[in-house]
Amino acid sequence: MTARALREALSQANGMQRLSLILMVVFAVLIVAPDLVAPQSPLTVDPSRALRPPSAVHWFGTDDVGRDLFARVVHATRITLGLVAGALLLSALVGGTLGLVAGFLGGAVDLAAARAVDVVLTFPPIIAGVVITGILGPGAGNLVLALAIVYMPMFFRIARSGALAESKRTYVEAARALGFGGASILFRQVLPNVLPLVLLQYVILFPLALQIEAALGFLGLGVAPPTPDWGAILEQGKNFILVAWWISLWPGLFLLASAFAVMVFGRFLQARLGAG
Amino acid sequence: MTHMFRGWVARGAGIALAALLASGAAAQDAMIYGKSDPAAKSGGRLTVGSLTEPPALDPYHQAADARIRVTVLAYQGLFFEDASGQAVPLLAESYTMSADGLSYTFKLRRGVKFHTGQTMTSADVKYSYDYLRDSKNGSPGAGDLSTVDSIEAPDDSTVVFKLSRRNGLLPITLTHRYGGVIPKDYFATPDARTKLNEVSVGTGPFKLKQFRQNSVLVFEKFKDYWQAGLPHVDEVTFAFMPNSAAMVVAAQNRRIDLGIFTRPQDAEQLTRVPGVRLVRTPSMNQRSIDLGSEHPLLKDARVRQAIALGIDKDAVMKASIAGYGQVIGTMVAGMQERWGLPIAEAPNQKVDLDRARRLLAEAGHPNGFEIELTTIIGYDWMDAAAVTIADQLQRIGIKVNIRKIELGVWVRNFQNRQMGFTFNDWPSSPDPSLLYYRHFRAQPLGADFRNWNNTKASELLDRGREESDYGVRRGIYNEFQKILADDVPTIMMFSADLLTVERDRVRNHQQHPTGWYFSLIKTWLAD
Amino acid sequence: MLRFLVARLTSALLAAALSSLVVFVLMRTVPGDIVAQMLGQAGDASAAAALRGFFGLDRPIHAQFVDWLAQVLQGDLGRSWYQGKRVSALIWEAFAVTFEVAAVTLVLATLIGVPLGVLAGIVEGTRLDAAIQTFNLVGLSAPVFWVGLMLLVGASAVFGWSPPFAFMPPSVDLADNIAIVILPVLSLAVLQAAAYSHFVRDCMVAELRRDYVRAAIAKGLSPAQIHFKHALRNILIPLVTFMGLILIQILGGTVVIESLFSLPGLGRLILSGIQGRDYPVVQGALLFVVAIAIVVNFVVDLLYGLIDPRLRP
Repeated sequence: MTARALREALSQANGMQRLSLILMVVFAVLIVAPDLVAPQSPLTVDPSRALRPPSAVHWFGTDDVGRDLFARVVHATRITLGLVAGALLLSALVGGTLGLVAGFLGGAVDLAAARAVDVVLTFPPIIAGVVITGILGPGAGNLVLALAIVYMPMFFRIARSGALAESKRTYVEAARALGFGGASILFRQVLPNVLPLVLLQYVILFPLALQIEAALGFLGLGVAPPTPDWGAILEQGKNFILVAWWISLWPGLFLLASAFAVMVFGRFLQARLGAG
Repeated sequence: MTHMFRGWVARGAGIALAALLASGAAAQDAMIYGKSDPAAKSGGRLTVGSLTEPPALDPYHQAADARIRVTVLAYQGLFFEDASGQAVPLLAESYTMSADGLSYTFKLRRGVKFHTGQTMTSADVKYSYDYLRDSKNGSPGAGDLSTVDSIEAPDDSTVVFKLSRRNGLLPITLTHRYGGVIPKDYFATPDARTKLNEVSVGTGPFKLKQFRQNSVLVFEKFKDYWQAGLPHVDEVTFAFMPNSAAMVVAAQNRRIDLGIFTRPQDAEQLTRVPGVRLVRTPSMNQRSIDLGSEHPLLKDARVRQAIALGIDKDAVMKASIAGYGQVIGTMVAGMQERWGLPIAEAPNQKVDLDRARRLLAEAGHPNGFEIELTTIIGYDWMDAAAVTIADQLQRIGIKVNIRKIELGVWVRNFQNRQMGFTFNDWPSSPDPSLLYYRHFRAQPLGADFRNWNNTKASELLDRGREESDYGVRRGIYNEFQKILADDVPTIMMFSADLLTVERDRVRNHQQHPTGWYFSLIKTWLAD
Repeated sequence: MLRFLVARLTSALLAAALSSLVVFVLMRTVPGDIVAQMLGQAGDASAAAALRGFFGLDRPIHAQFVDWLAQVLQGDLGRSWYQGKRVSALIWEAFAVTFEVAAVTLVLATLIGVPLGVLAGIVEGTRLDAAIQTFNLVGLSAPVFWVGLMLLVGASAVFGWSPPFAFMPPSVDLADNIAIVILPVLSLAVLQAAAYSHFVRDCMVAELRRDYVRAAIAKGLSPAQIHFKHALRNILIPLVTFMGLILIQILGGTVVIESLFSLPGLGRLILSGIQGRDYPVVQGALLFVVAIAIVVNFVVDLLYGLIDPRLRP
């Protein structure tokens, strides 16, 4: 996108979209440089300052072992959003590739892949997440795996239907007639046309995956302590909800704000792609 | 803070077994399940909030502490473990031990009825303990009775246990943890085990009314209970709470009469709530870290000692349970006075970073190392303790990575003797032999979960088990505890106090240090 | 139409069978089983072996699976290893709770979300539309359990009130029942109403831009007639599909809410089954969840045909 196009898009943006943009910039800063924003350690324990309410020293207060919550919530940004982004990336890569190949080749490959995907699709996402992390045990790796598996069918379907539609188009047939190999057509012609769809799907699924990541963290099936993660902080905070509401408030607000920002961005993209 | 301190633990309870036997039976009976309250009134329904839920109510095949807590109300053994950890005759009225210590004769109480309506006889007792000790039946309690050779029932009210070797702790083994006296041949029917979730068949003061998973467990007063006038309340409902926040809210809004918090500090939120009081009781639980010798780093005693010297137990306790407990050395708080080695005499109890670093260097780790520390999901106290310990061990160059695993996985590692470096939450064991033997006696007699394989310690544990004189036993166990503290197969950190929240109308509730609900039998409700 | 439905049903059943197999094998290959849970820190190898034999865990996995499948095909899901109750009975008991919460949530979300979405669609581009859209996006972004937590605290702080602990079916004690489900329903309804409103608004906007609406305006039909007679009727089909989607989502989404508000529902049954390694319960309950999803989708397909005769073959 050129600078002019960007400016144009900004001038057309409504209040919600501007807010979303600002939030995304803020989150980007928190992800890139959490130490600059929150210089205190998110890990250092000090029982003597446990459960302090928000103050000038501890902006978000402290948790039950006296860690600075501002530092924890800020540092959690990279971890929580990173886990979701990574999981979805894995999901998009595997699901998208499978869908692309299945849609392009058709036949038995398509049928087999579609059946495998149906198995995952039989479960509601959160149940699938609970089953996978519950059985495999908690931890960042299993969490990523669970989210990736849960959302793979969505990418599969998008990529497959895209590939299916593209492969019937005249230019593909023309390319075939000209003697181009299958792989070459797939990557040179079909992929560029399917990629935007997958990208859009990624942005649309992001807030949903974020909710599930947080829910699993809340059920104690997320990352291991002391790693800061919004869902895990919420889980820890629920026991102190009456005396230390701040432990639960901030990570919830951050979750809300990040999901909101991405969702608005997703709608924006959708409108653009739909229009163009 | 307005915590009431109510010690159930008899101070200086060094009463010898002989004296106990000689004392008046009636006076002794009155003390079963705690002090009686002459002002007690009968009736009413009591609601208890519980953060732990029993997976099932089968006292024979379920080892979970959450199961023991509640089934003690419905099932009884020959003895009762009182608050100081002594065995008091319960379904047995009295007993005698032969001179060689290999035969115990129990006189049974008469007129005891099962919830099924039958009257208890010696045949039921023989059946129950025979079933329990036969390891083919898969009871976790079988190991405790391995010294029993045979059980005889010469007449309706007499049972004789014959032992293959002396076992001074037989009476305390015949209490509530596993089993309990049930009607003869109960387990002969196919669905008998799971049927216990619907109908109770013990002799206890309460019988099961309803058990609904993830929701409630209701006990009702057993009308034909053998102790006249007990229990006082008509019904006890355990409401299973998914987290302490729910319990705090429920207590605040008087949805529950009583509740024990798993992390005492969670109850702090209730200190200013009117109509509710908090009661703090020392407990027999033990929060510890185990160091399995099968671990390539931990097999070196110097590494284990260095870790012990690097851990500040007091700071860990403050972080983990906000100081609501007692730092311990080698014995749980509730039994320290009677059985514990004074902490000052135990090695490796004070933080000494220089010595720790020296030991690590000697062991070939001058720059420290990385190690994985296991915590169990659902055990809230471990999370805070883990981050604190990681912080502390950093000082001697040990980088701790925390790994959360599920209880089932943890138990499997434990049983396969692959504990590694892990937190542990010990269930209550009211006797030092029950506490230590299986854990630390070398195989095959013990389970030796930490692969410690310590000959001297094993020998002491064998002697301690056979001995029945208190003074001699205490000496043996003190010597054992010195080895334990010196060689560090485990680091016992602290006992967390039991913090009970009670509504004003709850009277004469005397929390038992095991955390088991014996206390509900003599509790009554004011209007 | 019929052939399409049969084909869908067949592929769904195949998927259900495959997913059962995956769950079955997965549960048995990960460490820790019921025997470990039962014995805890006590018990020895011979006791463990005895219990493993008792539960049939010493047999090869394929033999266990064949037995289970044969049992299921005869309509028997087996019994809970801990509870001894029939798995089918446990599922019904739990499902009654989940279903009540889901149904009330669905009704509430529809009552709030649909009018809101229709309104926003009609007044597209105005401040009111922007306000409703903001509500939608915030509602969609807020984690359900966090909203529940805040409601719990709020109710306790403001009214000094908290829900009772023991679930009561509405047939036993209606007042208690309402008191128990109100907070869980509210926390779920916020999200689902937002989802509804969001969806309906977009449909409405798209519909009102179509040619026939322009033609209707040209013909002089009143806005009310256009909105309610034509546009609303046309978005009925996507609405029904969406309702099915939401129902499945609520049924799944209750798992977190159930654990927050201690409701003995399906989600908790599955979660505690997994944690306790109660294989028959987990297998049975998951099969049930899958079946529900299949049925809901099937019904949605059927309704499609009923609402829009053109889709009928």
